[in-house]
Amino acid sequence: MGTVKRTEETDDRPPASLEETIADGGTIAGDEASADTPFGTVSSGTMSRRDRYEMLVNEWVVAPFKILWSDWRARVGSLIILAYVLMGTVGVRVVDPPRVGEGDRLVSPFEDLSHPLGTDNMGNDIFAQIVHATPPMLEMIVAGAVFTTVMAVVVGTLSGYKGGRTDQLLMTFNDILMTIPGLPLVIVIAVILEPRSPWLVGVIITVNAWAGLARAIRSQVLTLREESYVEASRLMGISTPQIVMKDIMPGLMPYILVNFVNSARSVIFASVGLYFLGILPFTELNWGVMMNLSYETGGALYTWETAHWLLAPMITIVILSFGLILFSQGTDRVFNPRVRARHTSAADPEEGDDDMSGEVATHIRG
Amino acid sequence: MINKYYIERTAQAVFTVFAVVTMTFGMIRLMPGGPVSYIRSQLVQQQGNQVDMEQVNALVEVYTNVAPDDPLYVQYLEYMTSLLQGDLGVSMFYNDPVTMILASAAPWTVFVMSISLVLTFGLGITLGAVMAYIEGSRFDVSTTLVSIFLNSIPYYVMAIVLVYILGYQFNWFPTGGRVSSEVATGMNLAFLQSAFYHAALPIASLVITGFGIQALAMRGNSIRVLGEDYIRVARLRGLAPHDIALRYVGRNAILPMYTGMMIAIGFMFGGSVILEEIFAYPGIGYYMFRGIMARDYPLMMGAFLIITIAVVVGIYVADLTYGKLDPRAGSGGGNREAY
Amino acid sequence: MSKTDDTQTPTTAGTRTGTGTDRTSIRVDDPIMEIRNASVTFDMERGESRVLDDVSLDIERDEILGIVGESGSGKSMFASALLDAVVNPGILSGEVTYRPRGDAEVDVLGLSPEELRELRWEEISMVFQGAQSSFNPTITIRAHFEETIEAHNYNMEQAMAHARELLSDLYMDPDRVLDSYPHELSGGMQQRTLIALSLVLEPNVLVMDEPTAALDLLMQRSILSLLEDLQEKYDLSIVFITHDLPLVAGLADRLAVMYAFEFVEVGPAGDLIGNPTHPYTRSLLKAVPNLDTPLAEMRPIDGMAPDPVDVPQGCSYHPRCPLADETCRAEDPAYHSVSPDHQSACFHWEDSAEAIPLSTGGDERGGGDGEMRAFAGNQSDEPVVSLENVDVHFDQVADGGLLSVFQEPDTVHAVDDISLDVYENDVVTLVGESGCGKTTLGKAVIGAQRPTDGTVAYRGQDIWEAKDSRRGADIPYEHIRRSLQMIHQDPGSSLNPNRKVQASLEAPLKRWEPDMDPDDRQERILSLLEYVGMSPPGDYAQRYPHQLSGGEKQRVALIRALLMNPDVILADEAVSALDVSLRVEVMDLMLELQDLFDTSYVFISHNLSNARYFSGKAGGRIGVMYLGELVEIGPAEQIINDPQHPYTKVLRWSTADLDIEETVEDPPLRGIDIPDPVDPPSGCRFHTRCPEAREACTREQPTLGGHGDGTEHETACFREYDESHEYWDSEPVVEDDADATADDESGSWGHANE
Repeated sequence: MGTVKRTEETDDRPPASLEETIADGGTIAGDEASADTPFGTVSSGTMSRRDRYEMLVNEWVVAPFKILWSDWRARVGSLIILAYVLMGTVGVRVVDPPRVGEGDRLVSPFEDLSHPLGTDNMGNDIFAQIVHATPPMLEMIVAGAVFTTVMAVVVGTLSGYKGGRTDQLLMTFNDILMTIPGLPLVIVIAVILEPRSPWLVGVIITVNAWAGLARAIRSQVLTLREESYVEASRLMGISTPQIVMKDIMPGLMPYILVNFVNSARSVIFASVGLYFLGILPFTELNWGVMMNLSYETGGALYTWETAHWLLAPMITIVILSFGLILFSQGTDRVFNPRVRARHTSAADPEEGDDDMSGEVATHIRG
Repeated sequence: MINKYYIERTAQAVFTVFAVVTMTFGMIRLMPGGPVSYIRSQLVQQQGNQVDMEQVNALVEVYTNVAPDDPLYVQYLEYMTSLLQGDLGVSMFYNDPVTMILASAAPWTVFVMSISLVLTFGLGITLGAVMAYIEGSRFDVSTTLVSIFLNSIPYYVMAIVLVYILGYQFNWFPTGGRVSSEVATGMNLAFLQSAFYHAALPIASLVITGFGIQALAMRGNSIRVLGEDYIRVARLRGLAPHDIALRYVGRNAILPMYTGMMIAIGFMFGGSVILEEIFAYPGIGYYMFRGIMARDYPLMMGAFLIITIAVVVGIYVADLTYGKLDPRAGSGGGNREAY
Repeated sequence: MSKTDDTQTPTTAGTRTGTGTDRTSIRVDDPIMEIRNASVTFDMERGESRVLDDVSLDIERDEILGIVGESGSGKSMFASALLDAVVNPGILSGEVTYRPRGDAEVDVLGLSPEELRELRWEEISMVFQGAQSSFNPTITIRAHFEETIEAHNYNMEQAMAHARELLSDLYMDPDRVLDSYPHELSGGMQQRTLIALSLVLEPNVLVMDEPTAALDLLMQRSILSLLEDLQEKYDLSIVFITHDLPLVAGLADRLAVMYAFEFVEVGPAGDLIGNPTHPYTRSLLKAVPNLDTPLAEMRPIDGMAPDPVDVPQGCSYHPRCPLADETCRAEDPAYHSVSPDHQSACFHWEDSAEAIPLSTGGDERGGGDGEMRAFAGNQSDEPVVSLENVDVHFDQVADGGLLSVFQEPDTVHAVDDISLDVYENDVVTLVGESGCGKTTLGKAVIGAQRPTDGTVAYRGQDIWEAKDSRRGADIPYEHIRRSLQMIHQDPGSSLNPNRKVQASLEAPLKRWEPDMDPDDRQERILSLLEYVGMSPPGDYAQRYPHQLSGGEKQRVALIRALLMNPDVILADEAVSALDVSLRVEVMDLMLELQDLFDTSYVFISHNLSNARYFSGKAGGRIGVMYLGELVEIGPAEQIINDPQHPYTKVLRWSTADLDIEETVEDPPLRGIDIPDPVDPPSGCRFHTRCPEAREACTREQPTLGGHGDGTEHETACFREYDESHEYWDSEPVVEDDADATADDESGSWGHANE
């Protein structure tokens, strides 16, 4: 063809070699010879494998960390979480497990350096109890949070992306599950199953907690599904799993992460509550079990002397959950491309202005 | 369009109750360690090994409304029929009809929970709106921090602290019961006073640990709404600031909180199991806990069912009022869909 | 983002402020508002941002003043300044004076809050762009009116009566509208309701900020014609702010062109269009697609509008101006009087006509046609994609609920019985109002939408058969999938915001060329980026979409589609979201790439000017759709210059041209709003709005037919049938306006058909 009348200025823009380049691009299909044809117009040179690797690390490890660190809530939150993880991994090796009668009974906290948080009515060290209760607690939290997130993401994405009958059935089921009050349901199941493994306890506790999140994810997927770039990917013949992974999930990540942290918190709340009530069988040390013992056998409610026994696990729970909330409040920025762009190319001071010019633009339009 | 919304919500509520009832039937009957084997083992303990299966089955039928030797579908039908007649079986621990026990307990749980709900959201919404209006101020920042902190305290921890300090140590509040035994039951002032007095700590533990997250949600919603064009247009139209605050910001910021409200309803009623045990407050949760401890399956399942129905009804009522408040409900454009 | 824009001379805002010359303000005889030295500034980290720069202008009593500027030119700031309603933290300085008839003048910026509250809406009122977002979604329209009346202590009964009158004036049923919630009204009705709301307190000045930008052209034009009636009826002074010069050209008495936060040229509409003197105005006139300017003369403006923090020193237009010299770079030009009421802020205003020639006149069309390649002959004989009797019906099902299983769904007839062939190197543009099914039809063409009936074939292979059978198809589905691609409307959502440009462009290559060496892949991407003018490509490849402008995003989307080496690309309103001056540029690029890649386009537009430009330049066809049906199709210039179907004529009317002699007249239509597509009218679907409709049209449906003139121009209207058809004997449907159905159709059309 080429009979189209073009404006002169666009006519003389492409260098001569470009016609070849484009023509070459035009025969992409199965044309392996193109690998030998260099593109004369490329000025910036190509990247070595190492550069590319470095870029990936920078993009996926360094940048998120920098972003996290730049927000005080995320900073404090991750420090607290880190402390608990250390307590559950390193702590259990350093601190001896509690033994009956290792100290006097009901030593008050901060009096004896060998029992920093005092002892209970059997002379067990309370600090050691708290430390050694951490690993099963962490296992429970991880199991519950992972279960919630995976279920919610799978059901929500499937329902939202597939639509139609699948959606209707899943959502009807989901809505029912969502309406059933969680704690009583968990109690009933726990009574029947009497779970002992912390992993199983975590899953039982979140048995229907994922339903609300699944619905939220579904409605987000419904919105994302309509985005033009998702349709474009579909039209390019990219497979559904690929589209879900590359186009849908990144948009959901901030949401998923925040909810992962929140469900971790509700696992702590529920499990400690159930151990405290004595509904879950006492198998290992647990903060809830400690509360139960001090409450039921220690008679903590009636005297001041045992208060520390009751307070220590409660404060432990509150601090961890405080850390988790702070963390979740500060993390959604990690996935924000506007923030990412600033942090991946920190060498470029002008990048930071993008948000500002956007701001002006809105002012002008407003 | 609105009619369709109501019909759909009603159907959803009815279907949920039906599904839960079916589920409880399944759990009672099919799970290992269910009431049948429990009752049998009880009899074995009492009478030695000379247990007559007929006797066990008869007892099971008395307690649970289900005859274990009938075919499954007959059991199911019998169970459903007795439920429809309001018969939840007989408590093995109290030896009273479950319906009777729970009927006397339910109003108290509803009383505590509805007041907690109203206070939590009333406080949260007011505080959140104020925070949004003075966004970035010292008050806003510190309230945000306090809200996050209070939200990290489990309600039962707060309950223990309150009952420990204000109940046992200072004796300012009762540590158990619904009302003082000295007042006459009825709608008299002394009775109401006593009822509120006894409910004060349970309500306080839920409200103190719950309002923060609602305040933060309201704050976020309000800030978003304050940036909407229609607020700017309303100001240009010369509407009074309090009109804009209530009819524009308030209304549009509160609507998305209905989701939080639905979740809170389930959360609070479910939490009654722990809360009422700590305060020895004989509501449904208290009896459910008693049922669990005594392996009293009819009581436990009955309480579970009643709590679920209470939540379903609560959510249903919230849904209906939402439909009244948001004209977009049912047309797919409602805010609630966004949760 | 401007760091790669080497056309800009770096200057600081600080030096600029000092150079402000004492400009003559543009005065009129009887101003209702006077604006003197108005500036709006924002303090930002990067320095002071000046989004309205020392602007002076008068607004004459009872005039319609059109203010034209591209996005980010500061025109909305000017609107806000008139009501002292600049959004925080912007600071407005200068003078704004309001002169009500007879009364003393009012210093708007010196008013107390209560006085300002009363001035707004009672004296000066405003209509915003997004009608939907201007209403409180949770209260009824009636409540909006009532609360406004109450807040200003007007008599409720009288004011509501006035509201009803206004709503009727705007062709709406007052009761229905008042009882509705905002979301229950269509976009056009919302916008008209907003106009009524702004007039309910009978203000003297109405400021309209892009009041029609979000609407279909036809609705825009209808609203404009109503606006002219309202202006006369209620003695309004209207300030109409828009980016669309042709739209406002016929409506406004005076025009003011804004560039870089100041007015560069102000004058009577006729003078400004007929004899523009500022280079920017002239370039803008050339850049805006319209129905009059010869295609060969349309040309984009090079460069980009300046950043408010970094406005070039001297004349702010000099980096883009072909006439710029040393003086322009150093000094800010004052206004030069072209005529007493026509002023231009350019040193070279006398030379601009020569440097940037412009032909607006009567005989331009002949000139344009010569450059067209002939319609027939350059396409293949065999169609690439062929649609036969395609229906697409949607079931509207409520969202995911329990009961939706049992509901009787409403069926929307998005596409009804359409046959269409797309050839190689073809361009087919589909035009029509929103909701007419043009996007659905486009998607059916590229196999993105499964038809409920009929067949879609790619080179003779039924696409959906190929997909369902997988094996056995002559052409495998994968190949078809590759060959049919799409560019979307909204640049904001056409690229995944979480992926860099490079990753977005690699995706199709990774899918189809998994063995390709990563370096080759990258080179191919970089060279294409460079080709479409995104230089340096290495830098652009590493950007996230939010770091690109709208035009750049569309270029990336275009490259992504082309990387597939497709046979047909569906371009769904691909340029509508871009600034007017950019549209021609992007359309040129698309056509240029068509040449290189041998691609066909199905181009969707609600805008007849864009359709004319795109199809016309490539010698393609334009198809006109109405409520799911193709009512007319033919070569671009024929559709534009010789429309046959009454609906095409309406669209032609709705497309404003630059002929300012023409005033906005009443639409050749009997109803402004489109019927509900769930329940389309019987017979010819257009009969409910058609001025030519007769009784026969309500019963029978016309089919597409040729004109026997050897072209491929086809029309689905009984008026094209021969005289024996019962249409000619049946009674007109038009009850009050019998003249309109006279055989002499051109009578009511005059200038439009020449």
